Amino acid sequence: MSGIVDVSIKQPRKLTFAERLYLPEIVKGMGVTIRHLLRNIVSIRNLPTILYPEKRRDYSDRFRGKHILTTRDDGTLKCVACYMCAEACPAECITIVAGEHPKIAYEKYPVVFDIDMLRCVFCGFCVDACPKDALWMTRNYEMAFFNREEAIFGIDKLIAKPGLPVKDGMGYRPYYPGDGTRPPGDASSSPVIPGDGEREKWREKGIDLHHTEGPGPLNRSLDGSGREQAAAPQHPMAKS
Amino acid sequence: MSSVETVPLAPAAEKLRERFARSPLSERVAVVDLDLPTLEVAPADWPAVARFLRDDSECAYDLFLDLAGVDNAKRRGRPTRFEAVYHLHSLPRSEHVRVKVILPDTAEPRLPSVVDVWPAANWFEREAFDLYGFDFPGHPNLRRILVHDAFVGHPLRKDYSPGQRWFFAEEDLRMPSWATHTEERAGHFETQTLSIGPSHPATHGIVHLVARLDGERIKRAETQIGYMHRCFEKMAETHTWNQVIPFCDRLNYVSAMINGVGYVKTVEKMLGIEVPDRGRLVRTILSEFSRIMDHCVDIGANLVDIGALTNFWYLYQPREGIYGLLEACCGARLTVSYVRVGGLAIDVPEDFVPRCRALLESIPKFLNDVDRLVTRNRIVRNRLAGTGVITKEQAIAWGLTGPVLRSTGVAYDVRRSRPYDFYDRFDWDVPVATDGDNYARYLVRMEEMRQSLSIIRQALDVFPESGPVSSDDWHVVLPPKDAVYHDMESLIFHFKLIMEGIRVPAGERYDWIEGANGELGFYAISDGGAGPYRVKVRPPCFPMMAAYEKIIIGGTISDAIATLGTLNIIAGELER
Repeated sequence: MSGIVDVSIKQPRKLTFAERLYLPEIVKGMGVTIRHLLRNIVSIRNLPTILYPEKRRDYSDRFRGKHILTTRDDGTLKCVACYMCAEACPAECITIVAGEHPKIAYEKYPVVFDIDMLRCVFCGFCVDACPKDALWMTRNYEMAFFNREEAIFGIDKLIAKPGLPVKDGMGYRPYYPGDGTRPPGDASSSPVIPGDGEREKWREKGIDLHHTEGPGPLNRSLDGSGREQAAAPQHPMAKS
Repeated sequence: MSSVETVPLAPAAEKLRERFARSPLSERVAVVDLDLPTLEVAPADWPAVARFLRDDSECAYDLFLDLAGVDNAKRRGRPTRFEAVYHLHSLPRSEHVRVKVILPDTAEPRLPSVVDVWPAANWFEREAFDLYGFDFPGHPNLRRILVHDAFVGHPLRKDYSPGQRWFFAEEDLRMPSWATHTEERAGHFETQTLSIGPSHPATHGIVHLVARLDGERIKRAETQIGYMHRCFEKMAETHTWNQVIPFCDRLNYVSAMINGVGYVKTVEKMLGIEVPDRGRLVRTILSEFSRIMDHCVDIGANLVDIGALTNFWYLYQPREGIYGLLEACCGARLTVSYVRVGGLAIDVPEDFVPRCRALLESIPKFLNDVDRLVTRNRIVRNRLAGTGVITKEQAIAWGLTGPVLRSTGVAYDVRRSRPYDFYDRFDWDVPVATDGDNYARYLVRMEEMRQSLSIIRQALDVFPESGPVSSDDWHVVLPPKDAVYHDMESLIFHFKLIMEGIRVPAGERYDWIEGANGELGFYAISDGGAGPYRVKVRPPCFPMMAAYEKIIIGGTISDAIATLGTLNIIAGELER
């Protein structure tokens, strides 16, 4: 039966004689506290308090702590600087500057990836937003700074160090072992595209692999002379 | 304005229109049917309509819930720029109604005050004055409330640029005019003004109470709030619908989960999407745990204020366990951000049900300990019984809801009066008390925790072992990560959702749930854009804090501290 229960009826306003005497109630109360005291002495391991920092609370593997930028097998950032985490962030704490990666298969990478830890609200929206499995969170919650500049974490502080353990372990992430998610393919282990990694060598020869096909304003040389480039070099991807 | 005769209305709105057609106000009110029956009136007619709405036996809208200003400057389809939107509830008929007072386009928007009809309107009108610059002739104390006195402009107007900064110095602090001079009467000792707070350990938050004392008794009091105003509503207007969820956690931060649930329910109703049963059950279970946590903190802190420290430790242990459960579910203890529009961020962990059951086992032990220490203790009795008394009539007039209203004998609980999720399928009781004093509020909260445990137990019995927790509408919910990584179409949905946000159809909605402190309402307006056009929270603490300065009159300062504790004022929600 669902209904209404009047709690004042259960607790009559008038105190009994024993209750008015103070002492019986005080003894009853002391019984409760002494029971707690004895229990804490007998099973000291189950104390509700923790001796921090010697002991840490055991957090779940969903804990939303400091972010970490995951890397490919070859140690480069998985991030492709798509700005989706920055867009999803309700606190607007992520700053990304995109650059072109020398390796063609990686296309873009973040030249700058800053998270302002003082603005961050640790909601995990960036992790949810990342389509490339590039941003996880760790269980590290101990971040203290002496000034505001220090609180802006760049790639050097966020990148996962290959071979080194992550402080306090991984936390909130896009998928967990056993939930059936297949992580995205790792571009570093994908077949090598002919000419990949060769961009710098082409540049040394004076050829920019950007904007090399077809006519258009972007293909004009950048020296301001307005001259068309002499010969469009063949794109390494193109079949001759 | 004349009523529109041809449009067919829902039964509730039709009934209201018939009632008005038979009244002398028939020509002055337009009844339209939105999510709630909605009246549109002109400012000049508003006091008469208000009185009719309250006094007429077929209307009987006795509980004032909310007043939201709306600036239509960037929205099409509304006749004038400013509207004052009232939400009222009828306790005898258990119905909500919305009244829109359409303000004519003048330099200074003005509408009559209805403080004499519903005293609860007092602070709400101050808020509308503060944030929108509405003038309320007839208001007893119309001055800023949420932003400080050195602030220039009205921040929620659409033409107010949020980047501006106004600095508040100590000399800008305005004390109430009566507090600045002493009163002396012949044959009487002079009275004394005492300023408690803003940061005082007993205010549990930042609240400034100015009290005029005659000996030990409080003769007059005024509370000043706004120290924790974080412009939640302005921020909501500049973010997408989902991005507002982390901000909701900071409203009532003692039971953060409930705020998020209330907010996303409103948005889900605007979108017309359904959340799978499993997701709704998780929300119900965690909301009830949050309610227990809220009551634990309230009772524990309140007892500390009156000198009983031990209970605080006993009540914080269940809270610790619940925080552990929340952290295992979503990765954060307090700022959970667990809900999403359309479901949950992530499925619950595998050991969710056993963990909940373990908590159900352990929590009653601590409640029983506190019961043994406190309930029949004469000292506690003397401190709580008979202090901070609120009568039933006062509670309704002041717009109080939740445990405070129920402690005066009114069995209004949203989970019962308009059951959402599965509350109508569970077997539970609404605890009420009759005395309306601090002790009654303590008893109601203790019983509510036990009822919440019973609700959780029943929810766990029907909890499906597996199944989705979120809707599969990928226009609203992010597709599963496996699909995003390997399927182009899912990636496009993912991309559009992140970059553009959810598209909520243009319209408005007021949706309300039972927060830990009372009716928590969200009034959301969408113009079809990427984010909310306007979000107004109906914070249950706000009318309570407004009533506080009246409740404590005649009591001592120590009673006032005990009363502040049992009202459970949460500054994050109070000032948004």
